[in-house]
Amino acid sequence: MSDRFVSLTDLVLSYGSTVAVPNLNLDIHEGELIALLGPSGCGKTTTMRAIAGLLTPTSGSIEIDGRDVTRTPANKRGIGLVFQSYALFPHLSAFENVAFGLRLQKLPDAQVRAKTEAGMATVGLTGFESRKPAEMSGGQQQRLALARSLVMQPKVLLLDEPLSNLDARLRLEMRNELQRVQRDTGVTMVFVTHDQSEALALADRIVLMNDGKIEQLGTARELYAAPETAFAADFMGFENIFHVEGGHLVNGSARLPLGFTTDAPVLAWRPSGVSVGAGPYSGKVRSSSFAGGHREYVLDSPLGEIKADASIETAEVPIGQSIAFDLPQDTARRLMA
Amino acid sequence: MSRLSIWIILGVTLTFLIGPFLIVILAGASAGEALSFPPQGLSLKWYAKVFTVESFRASFALSMFLAIFGTLTALLIGIPAAYALNRYDLPWAETIRTIVAAPIIVPGIIVGLALLRYIVVPLNVTITMALFMVHTALVLPYAVRVVSSSLNNLRGDMEEAAVILGCTRFQAFTKVVLPNIRGGILAAFILGFVTSFNEVPASLFLSGPGVRTLPIDMLSYMEITFDPSVAALSAILAFLSVAIVFLAERLLGFSRYV
Amino acid sequence: MFLNRKEGLALALPAAFFTLLFFLVPVGILLSVAFQSDTGWSLNGYFEFFSKPLNRAVFWRTLKLGLLVAGASAIIGYAAAFCIVSLPPKSRGRIFGLVVLPLMISPVARTYAWIVILGRTGIVNDVIVGLGLSDTPIRLLFTETAVFIGLLQLFLPLMIISLVSAMENIPRDVIPAARVLGASWLQVFLRVILPLTKEGLVIGGTLVFTGALTAYITPAILGGSKVLMLETLLYQKVNVSNDFVSASVIAMILIVMSFTANIVLKRIASVRR
Repeated sequence: MSDRFVSLTDLVLSYGSTVAVPNLNLDIHEGELIALLGPSGCGKTTTMRAIAGLLTPTSGSIEIDGRDVTRTPANKRGIGLVFQSYALFPHLSAFENVAFGLRLQKLPDAQVRAKTEAGMATVGLTGFESRKPAEMSGGQQQRLALARSLVMQPKVLLLDEPLSNLDARLRLEMRNELQRVQRDTGVTMVFVTHDQSEALALADRIVLMNDGKIEQLGTARELYAAPETAFAADFMGFENIFHVEGGHLVNGSARLPLGFTTDAPVLAWRPSGVSVGAGPYSGKVRSSSFAGGHREYVLDSPLGEIKADASIETAEVPIGQSIAFDLPQDTARRLMA
Repeated sequence: MSRLSIWIILGVTLTFLIGPFLIVILAGASAGEALSFPPQGLSLKWYAKVFTVESFRASFALSMFLAIFGTLTALLIGIPAAYALNRYDLPWAETIRTIVAAPIIVPGIIVGLALLRYIVVPLNVTITMALFMVHTALVLPYAVRVVSSSLNNLRGDMEEAAVILGCTRFQAFTKVVLPNIRGGILAAFILGFVTSFNEVPASLFLSGPGVRTLPIDMLSYMEITFDPSVAALSAILAFLSVAIVFLAERLLGFSRYV
Repeated sequence: MFLNRKEGLALALPAAFFTLLFFLVPVGILLSVAFQSDTGWSLNGYFEFFSKPLNRAVFWRTLKLGLLVAGASAIIGYAAAFCIVSLPPKSRGRIFGLVVLPLMISPVARTYAWIVILGRTGIVNDVIVGLGLSDTPIRLLFTETAVFIGLLQLFLPLMIISLVSAMENIPRDVIPAARVLGASWLQVFLRVILPLTKEGLVIGGTLVFTGALTAYITPAILGGSKVLMLETLLYQKVNVSNDFVSASVIAMILIVMSFTANIVLKRIASVRR
């Protein structure tokens, strides 16, 4: 198993005069499921399109399985891509959609038939061969797109926002399906998403991107528990982030004394890490909403907006009233400047 | 508004738009010698006479030739242009679009005159050839527009998917794009055909001995003779156009593309 | 979006060159004729053209008829389009089809109908004489009214189509909402329908106005040499008097008017936004 199965070196990607990715280095391991995560415009889709060969890099190189494919056209790279819109061919039946690539390889008919049927079986679409894509549900279309890519036995399977067009129930089902397919086939999978919970649930490793650069790279656990920058922390749900200056938390001109000493330039707390009901600080309740296991408060404090989760065991504090809270040391996450 | 007033307004409007035409059909079915309405007795003799007029037959053949081959040529150069304008990051895309669309804005009569003076006469080009150029150029904007709108409905990632599955760019076009814009192409053909077949102003100056399009021929026939044969011919042509459009609408929902 | 520009140009240029060479270049040369004189560039062709009262009259008549036809088709068009969109979908499609239908019929045939109706022995005169309103048939053909009616019938469908598609895009409950808020039908039209269908009106208006300006058949058949419009005047100048300078001037006027209409109407639509 190669640790540099897909290798991007000094990759620069631009559209016309807009530089989308200024300089990217990334190694993808053979057989892993890796997520490119980030807000829209962060360069994740551009990067994926460059791996697919739909976009020629301005400079830098792309290697797949030890071969430099930087200048190889998309139809000769041996990769698969499942589009966000699925991009199924509307004029062809489900069967012909899956068989499309195999027929281009001029395989004998019997082989095309066998492989296509096997591919459709893998994703549980046996029996749907003669349907047109328009006659299938969103989930079925997704599976069909997956089967169409898998029958080509790609070295790498790229997926663009694979779950974004599905409803909540199908999303869970498809998530399991993708993990199963990956286990069964061992194919290296790269998927692009803007949804952190999707990345956390699905990926072996997550590449968090921002402004065309890798903000942080690590396992789901690492990213969730130990974000290193304010951007990563914010993306991972640390909603209260403050600079530290001379023993004070700072937000604009507002300053509050910090209850402990630290050498970290920036500190962050999840809403669940803020303790409500007691503490040295006080904030006025702006909104309060019941969220099942806990209650979510938004407080107006001297530091600005504070998001805090409180236990449902405690009595609800009405909107407009002041409440004490604390930003404790043990739930604080130290971030780089 | 009440249902009654709605139907009154629509009735009056439609009578104004279509009524005169029904009158032409009847006037053509007159048994008399002169054009009049109500017709002096009913007969189909004028409908029959149309087919025996030699010049109508020749000009009908010319108009068919122009409408079919002009439109096909317009599609031949228009489809690639529409595709390029839709799918490529083209330099001067706006300029190209404006040039191709220009024939819609430039009054036809000017074009015919210009071609006669500066192409037919100095370059010794035949009138038929000049007519072919004008009709092609006139149909081109419609071809590009209709094909563009059906390309717009076809997502670009479809072609990318085809390429990733092993197609060359050309194969992606023939295997994925073409089958999916067939309806648009057929609609463009019909629209182009009707436009070209009915065209008058641009063909006005482009007529020579024995060479004129059918509508022009009808105009000059009207100047000389005032019998109902032009009414009969008009009715026949209208039936033809309407039948074609009706079939197209039935078969592929023509109006979606226009 | 593909980024290979050479490939894209190779696909797009044949069409552009075809139109350029066989259409725009000859037209360009024709337009330049009026600017040439023995001594070089000059505007004499234009001065001479406009110095003749007949030419001026034809110019104003063309402009007037263009505006009248556009205005009338806007009024009728709004009424018809409003009725069409308030129909249930099935009959809406059918009526819309009937509106589109005339566009497929040769303008020669459509204009010809008016001869049968307005001619000396036409229906209208039959009625007039029959009722004793006049002893002899009155002249209806070869009048501005005849040309106006002919042009209106020819181009009205374009306006209705533009307005129907604009009205179909009005959010469903906006008009009842305005009624509930106390607007009269006139206010509904002025404050809700008009602003929301402005673009359709502009598209339709441009099509009808430029169509009327550049129509040849209708003024030729229904106006003859009594009611000349710019297009028929151009034809006469070339065929009768071989006057290519005047033809070039008229050509320029027609193009400038079409473009101006286009630009002005677009302005109006965007300014009031």
